[in-house]
Amino acid sequence: MEGIATTLTTWNAGVTRLTAPPRGTFTQLARGSTVGNPHDAAQQRRVLEATLGLLAQDAPVDMVRLREAAE
Amino acid sequence: MDILENIDAWWAEFEQGWMAHYQATGETNWKIYNRPRNKTAPAGPGIDVSRSRLALISSAGAYLKDSQEPYDAENDLGDYAIRTFPSSTPFGALAYAHTHYDHAAVEADAQVLLPLRHLEDMVSEGMIGELAPSVISFHGYQPDVTRVIGETVPAIIAAAKAEQIDAALLVPA
Repeated sequence: MEGIATTLTTWNAGVTRLTAPPRGTFTQLARGSTVGNPHDAAQQRRVLEATLGLLAQDAPVDMVRLREAAE
Repeated sequence: MDILENIDAWWAEFEQGWMAHYQATGETNWKIYNRPRNKTAPAGPGIDVSRSRLALISSAGAYLKDSQEPYDAENDLGDYAIRTFPSSTPFGALAYAHTHYDHAAVEADAQVLLPLRHLEDMVSEGMIGELAPSVISFHGYQPDVTRVIGETVPAIIAAAKAEQIDAALLVPA
């Protein structure tokens, strides 16, 4: 995005991959709970730390699978 | 670099397919929707997040319920406007206008889509340099990619530049 380093996380890897994002993680979380399950702060932090960690890498980066799933 | 490669071809297929069907029947048929595709991802250097200003960009349809208009969530053709609100906003001040996902989770714990309190903690811990003053929010149901590129993306870029951000975290709903 015009000189701004970007990253994302998604539960919908298939559709997101089609758009070729510069960096991103994907999970098996549910629509509407993209960062983690409700009240699971530890899981939400794991997803955020992994996703933000990609910003250190030069883009493009292959999307990274996180083993995080819906309840 | 184009946001969407072959935008003219995408539009022609959309206009003759999904949009023509909608205009003829009033129905949204996702079996004939041509999903946007790129072959090449944007390139760019990595950054040190601990020295960067990060903005959260959310497509959850969040808005300030007492002072902003909700998104046009019932519009089959989508809503392409953005809202911004302070990153420090208490979750109780937000509402969500978006009919394409179940709000149960975000209403139980807004951090599932707007992880602002976690990001604040990460700033305090030194993992993130600082959080941008504002969240950039939009309504993620946007079937017309030409309008996304012509309306939503320029508005997001303008907001991002106004906040002088170095990095963005996109959280789709």
